[in-house]
Parts: sequence; C-alpha cells; structure tokens
Amino acid sequence: MIRLALPKGRNLDVARAAMAAAGIGLSGLDRADGAGRALRTALPEEGLEILSLKDWDVPLYVEHGVADFGVVGSDVLGELGGDLLIPARFTAGRSRFSLLGRGPALPPPGAEVRLATKYPVTARRLLEGRPFAAEIVTLSGSVELAPVLALADLALDIVQSGRTLAENGLVELESVAEVAACLVVNRASFQRHRARLNEWIDRLEAVEAVS
Amino acid sequence: MRASAALPPGVHALFFEPARRRRALEAAMAAHLEAAGFAEVVLPILDYFEPYEPLLPAAARGELYRFVDRDGELLCLRSDFTPLLARLLAPRLAGLALPLRLYYRGDVVRREEERAGRRSEIGQLGAELVGAPGEEAEEEMLRRFLELLDGELPALPEGEGIEVVLGFAGALDRLLLASPDPAGLAAAVARRERGAVRRLGGSPVLLEVVKNGLPAGAAGRAALGEAAAARLERLLELKGDLGRDFPRIHATLDLAEFALHTLDPRLEPAGPAEASGPRAYYDGLVFRAFARGSALPLGGGGRYDRLFSRLGAQVAAVGFSISLDRLPALSGAGGEEAP
Repeated sequence: MIRLALPKGRNLDVARAAMAAAGIGLSGLDRADGAGRALRTALPEEGLEILSLKDWDVPLYVEHGVADFGVVGSDVLGELGGDLLIPARFTAGRSRFSLLGRGPALPPPGAEVRLATKYPVTARRLLEGRPFAAEIVTLSGSVELAPVLALADLALDIVQSGRTLAENGLVELESVAEVAACLVVNRASFQRHRARLNEWIDRLEAVEAVS
Repeated sequence: MRASAALPPGVHALFFEPARRRRALEAAMAAHLEAAGFAEVVLPILDYFEPYEPLLPAAARGELYRFVDRDGELLCLRSDFTPLLARLLAPRLAGLALPLRLYYRGDVVRREEERAGRRSEIGQLGAELVGAPGEEAEEEMLRRFLELLDGELPALPEGEGIEVVLGFAGALDRLLLASPDPAGLAAAVARRERGAVRRLGGSPVLLEVVKNGLPAGAAGRAALGEAAAARLERLLELKGDLGRDFPRIHATLDLAEFALHTLDPRLEPAGPAEASGPRAYYDGLVFRAFARGSALPLGGGGRYDRLFSRLGAQVAAVGFSISLDRLPALSGAGGEEAP
C-alpha cells in the first residue's frame, strides 16, 4: 500500500488531470469524490491510500514517511525546504514568481526598498546578489495590495495570467523563477516503491505531463 | 515566582522510563562494540571553532553553535564526533599502534530549523576504525553498523524494516563531469529530478542511475570508468552477502543517493548550492539507514581518509554513527515524555 498525499486546489486538479492522461488509476478517488469530506480515502484496487492535505502540509507528511509520495507546489517547497526527492514536475498549470511594482523599472543600484511577499525564504534567495537592498515584509495574502498602497515598494508573488496585476495598476518588473506542481517522494519510500514510482513517471513522461 | 519548565526549541529532557530505555540501549550497543574490540573515547563538548572552518561545508558550518569566550577565542559546541576525533587523533597517530578501534557516545548540538522531527541536540553513538585501509575495513564497519541496527528490529511494527542504502563516493564522477554544470547535475541526480538531469546534459546511463540506482548492463557499468565499475561489482557481491546475513534489513545499492559525495574538485558545489551539500568528507564506501516514519536517517557512515589528509595525517579511516533518538525503540512521544 502506497500513501499518496494530495493537496487541495489547483495543484490537485493538475495532478489528477496528468495522472488520468497517463492512465494512472485514481478512478476510486473519482468515485469517492461524492462521499463527503474524508481526509483519507482507501483505494484498495489501486493499492493506494490518498491523504487530502493542505499544500503547505504535504512536504512534512512526505518527509516523515507518513505519506510515501506527494504533490506540492515548488513555491511551497522553496519556502519549507526539507529532505525530499523531486523526481518530476508537472507541465500543466505552471506559473512564475515575479517582482511586481508600480513601475516602470526595478530599483536602481544602491537603493533600499521594502518588498512584500508571502515567501520570505524564497525572496531572500532570489534577491541574493541584487544591486539594491530589500527589507522583506512577510504578508499572509493579497500581496499585490502592498505596493499599490505603498506599504512596500515591490512585491514578490506568483503570477499566472497577470490579470490581477493589470486590475491593480501593477507592473511585472521581472519574472524570476518558474513555479510548478511537483511530485515529491520520501527517501526511504523511493527505495521501497521504486518500481511503481518509475512506472508512474515513465507513463507521465510518455504523455508529456511532467518534465 | 513560578519556574518555567520550558526548554529551547529542539531539545528534550528524558525522565524515568524513557531515560532508562535510552541508557539501556546505549549500554547494549556499547557492550556489543566492546566485545568486538572497540575502546571507548570520551570527547569534550566544547571546542575551538578554527580547526573546523576548512573541514566542513558551508551548511555544516552554519549548524555550529559558536560564541566568543572571555579571552576572545571563538569556541563551538560539538556538532559532529568524527571531525573532532580525527583532529585529536591526527597529531597523536605516530605514537599509537594501528589499527585503532574506537567508539563514543554523547550528544551533538546543531542549530536546526524549528520543525517536527528536527532536534538541535542529538544523542549519538558511533565507532571508528582508524589505520585499516581497504575494502575489508569498510565491510567490517558496515557489518558492525548493521549488527547494532539489527538489535533494534524487535521494536519495529510487523512488516516494517530498516532500509540501508549503500554506495561509494566518486561513483558517478565520470558521468557528472560530462556536463557543463557538473555540480548542478550532481544536485539534480541526488534529488532524482529526471527533467533537470536531461537539461543539464545527463547521459542515458546517468538517467538509468537516477531511476534505478544502478547503471543497466555491462555497458552501463563500463561508462562509470574502470575503477568505479570494478568497485560496483564487488559491492553487488557484498550486498548479496548482507542479504543472507541480515535477512531483516533491506540493503539497496544506489549510486544516485550519494551523488553529492564526489572525489573530483570540479564537482564541489560553489555558491548557494553548497548550502545543501552533505558533510563532504566521505571518500570511499558510504551508507545510510532509514526507518519508516523517520524524517531523517537513523545513521550512516563510510570511509573518510580525506578528512585525516586535510588534517595532515595520511591514515585510512572508516566510521559510522547512529542517532539514538531516531531509533524506533526510543523515538515517538514515549521517548520524549517528561512528568
């Protein structure tokens, strides 16, 4: 029995669509969809147990071996770290970390600015070596509002279509990193379930659902 | 005033039964090693920082608790027994009869992020064989390591065992050096990130190693280079022997698991990637053990002649350590209870 930790929301849709395209059986999960709010779903025919978790909790469950495999965004992985294997990144639903501001350009060399983000660890890493200094302000949401209302000069956030930016009069100053849903694996589980994992990834690669 | 019983994050007190279990386990392991001819060394917990600066990668240096003593000396708390023991032995080796079989027990203290399963103070027991070159010495120490873990298995739930992963430093160096970014490729291999391995120019043989831990067939093994291929053959034989001698331990040979343990200086990571690098001193056999439910390895070890060489002593050395708090018999809520 393999325990698979799936997140809620967009990354769940990406993973399920990719696995369906690859013919990886999660049909039991489809049947269980109408069964309410179960946090654990056994799929005995597939030899799986699905844990339904928040995105930010998936790495901890997998790192500790409570779940063998998991799906989580690279934005979360970059923030939490952890000793996990990342054998595949889903190709669908990719977005990007971008530096946002009221424009028109990044701060000049030597400037000292304030940057708002939900991702302080990632921000520190991505800003390393920049010619300007940034004080990082950690927010829990609506990060785009911070530069609009002058709480910060810049924001670092995930951009998908850019529509929210346009609606709030913000400019995407620089795209700094790609964000993708990732398949993550516990080190010991990799050894134990290697054959099944490799079969999944081979099939996902065959339909170009991961890269 | 009411005194608080709170402790800093990452440290724990053991009272009564958990304390008894910990000491009993330590004593059993120590007795096992003594019976095999190992002598105990007692090492200080406080040391100078300066000798470790060139020995440890950035990540390991960052874990050290450092402070300035009253006379201005930069001191650190013990974070790893092996470099400490090597530093103390290196200048004494000329007067000692080799080989030395030594063991130690005690706590190491490392600054860890506050998160479940991560402790800043880790009880360890380990052993070192100094002055015995060759693969026989490596096998002896691997077997000692497995014997100690094997004694732990009654504590595991039915159907669960210990996974031991074996490899050797430098196994993939030849394949990694074919990339324009060999250090980046090594990191991608260690994460098993197939897409990144392809983007960084990893060969089909390297991709096979990422997937299955080993190159496929004689041609794949030959791609590792003559010395590495021969080493791999011998290790495959040893794995077979271990399977017979330790049926309750599942040993796997996996070269990708130790992709960051390299021998060629061109493969040493520079810049931010170094922050995730391993303790870089292993240069022969490397092994690591895991149990289900443990976020971190139960223990591991390998050959580390390079560490002594950096200290100016040309001597062979193999060792291992076991993190006692992570062993199934001691981990979990029962191991942390305080009244």
